[in-house]
Amino acid sequence: MSRRGAVAGTGHNPLRDPADRRLPRVPEPCALVVFGVTGDLARKKLLPAVYDLANRGLLPPGFVLLGFARRDWGDGDFADLAKKSAQEHARTPWREEVWRRLGDSARFVSGSFDDDAAFDGLAETLRSLQDSHGIAGNAAFYLSIPPAAFPVVLKQLERTHIADNEACGGWRRVVVEKPFGHDLKSSLDLNGLVDDVFTPGDVFRIDHYLGKETVQNLLALRFANTLFEPVWNSHYVDSVQITMAEEVGIGGRAAFYDSAGAARDVLQNHLLQLLALTAMEEPVAFSAEALRTEKLKVLRAIALPDDLERSAVRGQYAEGWLAGQRVKGYLQEDSVPDRSTTETYVAVRLGVETRRWAGVPFYLRTGKRLPRRVTEIAVSFKKAPHLPFARTDTEELGQNQLVIRVQPDEGVTLRFGSKVPGTYMEVRDVLMDFLYGEAFTESSPEAYERLLLDVLLGDATLFPRNEEVEASWRVVDPLEEYWSGSQPRRYRAGEWGPAAADDMLAHDGRVWRRP
Amino acid sequence: MTTLSDTTGSAVVKALAAARRSAGAVTSGLALTLVAVVSEEHVEEAEQAAAVAAAMHPCRLLVVVRRRLESESRLDAEVQVGGRLGPGEAVVLRMFGRLSLHAESVVLPLLAPDAPVITWWHGKPPYRIAHDPLGVLAARRVTDCARADDPIAALANRAEDYAPGDTDLTWTRITGWRGLLASAFDSASGRVRQGGVAAEPRSASAALLAGWLGHRLDAPIELKNSSGPGLTEVRITLDGESYVWLEREDGHNATVHRDGMPDRSLPLPRRELGELLAEELHRLDADQTYGDALGAAMGKPALNRREPGRIHKWLDPEDSQAAKEPALFASEPLSQHSGGRTRASS
Repeated sequence: MSRRGAVAGTGHNPLRDPADRRLPRVPEPCALVVFGVTGDLARKKLLPAVYDLANRGLLPPGFVLLGFARRDWGDGDFADLAKKSAQEHARTPWREEVWRRLGDSARFVSGSFDDDAAFDGLAETLRSLQDSHGIAGNAAFYLSIPPAAFPVVLKQLERTHIADNEACGGWRRVVVEKPFGHDLKSSLDLNGLVDDVFTPGDVFRIDHYLGKETVQNLLALRFANTLFEPVWNSHYVDSVQITMAEEVGIGGRAAFYDSAGAARDVLQNHLLQLLALTAMEEPVAFSAEALRTEKLKVLRAIALPDDLERSAVRGQYAEGWLAGQRVKGYLQEDSVPDRSTTETYVAVRLGVETRRWAGVPFYLRTGKRLPRRVTEIAVSFKKAPHLPFARTDTEELGQNQLVIRVQPDEGVTLRFGSKVPGTYMEVRDVLMDFLYGEAFTESSPEAYERLLLDVLLGDATLFPRNEEVEASWRVVDPLEEYWSGSQPRRYRAGEWGPAAADDMLAHDGRVWRRP
Repeated sequence: MTTLSDTTGSAVVKALAAARRSAGAVTSGLALTLVAVVSEEHVEEAEQAAAVAAAMHPCRLLVVVRRRLESESRLDAEVQVGGRLGPGEAVVLRMFGRLSLHAESVVLPLLAPDAPVITWWHGKPPYRIAHDPLGVLAARRVTDCARADDPIAALANRAEDYAPGDTDLTWTRITGWRGLLASAFDSASGRVRQGGVAAEPRSASAALLAGWLGHRLDAPIELKNSSGPGLTEVRITLDGESYVWLEREDGHNATVHRDGMPDRSLPLPRRELGELLAEELHRLDADQTYGDALGAAMGKPALNRREPGRIHKWLDPEDSQAAKEPALFASEPLSQHSGGRTRASS
């Protein structure tokens, strides 16, 4: 008998080849278990993302969607809910045959989080799926639940051994959403708990900003080009502004938001992650471990200024006009306490104490009810040390600036001086624009889709790890402590934050960029 | 839209520049130029497909229609920025007479500066790409053997003519099948013994799929005829009676059969031309896997070791010698020349 024939198995697949880049990365057969399927996020983001992935052919043949909630439901009711949310919020076109397959393999387990029997039922369902769907013990648990419910659910998972890789004969992963605690201590407790029940490498903390194409493109921009990295340091960079502005108010999230505020809700995770990606050194490889090492170094090198009075501002929106409509102030929002001192805006100056960034201020700001929804990173360069022009020729010349627009209009803008056409010499700023999104948006997966797929593939590159979360709380905790008991500054809904934030930059001889 | 009739290449360049200016700054992010070579009767089909692909990959689209070699040389052009032909810039060029043999003289100044060029023949694949300057100037060449009278012969010809950077849409059409087979193999184990691919007769896609499987699995793969539509079945046996068996009877849904596992049904639709083209635009480097599969399918190993570029070889279709090389510019039959009339090469 001939000894020809490739051997498959034990991690080797003869049909996979790194050079064959047409084949999509498709996870192994697995189950996605969603806790809190009836929640807002599950309905608007998660379930539609599952459909979109299926529609793009990125889910394995044996994929099972399993819902868990305190509803007296059968599999069909859950499938109906999932179908409705997918139809309403999916980004890809609706294809009934795709849904039929997904809906057929939807399962539902009913019960409350403290109900032992329900979790035993869940464990049993997962076991039976191994035979009926060939998922070989692979399952990801998506915890779309309030932080308070975390300990109970995790204890249940531990009790029933369904988080145990070895006992299941496959992989078991958990997806956790922000907030990752509300301060360093609580986050240590939470991380301890999650990492204890699951193995630390199987814990995926979702920060959907990191799933955005532009954020990944920031790494390409910095580390795939020769043009930018040589000037990416304190010799050339004057300052960095990172902005995440939202038009919306707090919506229906009053209960959560009032106990958190902008610093915990946005600064601690999104803004500090963007800062880390902007300021980090080159990772030795584009891998989860290497990226985390570099991000962690930056996060640990962040220094708060000594003078918090002048370099940290928090605000709260008052009523005003936004986009042609009259909007309520924060204190008038439903279920917000009348005397709430929770901030809806925060601006802070941070330093990064490394040789590369010594002396370069990083201005971070985020707020609700600001004039437009925009997230961007603006790197301002120093003025040229000498200008061979008459002073009047360059009066309109500002600083060179590189702006990375994370959303909307994903792309990069470069601002530099150019001669104004005419017989006299006058140099003025012009913008050179690269629109990354526009023509690509249809095909590029939404952030949630991308991240969900990464979880199922076990690729942790775009997920912050526990040490990063802890290092971020070390930055935010002293701010919260400083602010406790104080009144946030008021700003009118529809303006770019409180006047104190402008003063903060004016004191440094700078101004905020109008995004 | 600007329409120019009986015009020159320079006038088209000017018209494109003017259209870009009046449309504002819509042209940032131009990453490549797509040259579509198509015959008059299929222009609409090609335009629709190119518009779909251009929506996913910002590109400058140049549609080249070669017509009636025997008529007087003439150029008609249509310039569009953001419209029927997708969000980018598009120029439809109709070339009559001997001009169509020198299409590059119009196309060269219209290429996006220093960006890669992809040439796509929507019609019968050319016999030798080296004879078509529009193929020689491209970094990627996309043909479609399914549109030839005899797809298998056309595929054999592609192997003969192959240079890294060539791909064929009959290969693109099987990406879904390959993806499903690869995922099935993620959890398979054992030595592969043999396999079979079934499809409607003379399917170039089936030949490539068998070539790919044979090359990757190092096992004999048998080609069988079925009544279609398209590919209908792939079956691979491994040691110990274990098997991977994919079946698609209706052209839409596939069923995966595995030993010891329940059957799974999955959508595996035959994709539209635009989607296929978009997949081609996604990658601008040579597809080595295709080269290996083509070589294995046609018994021509080491295709990837050939030189990636081509040098233009002048061949006048009106020369008597050209009659031996069928379908020089296969998009349109150019060979009905009025006999005896020979010209010196340009």
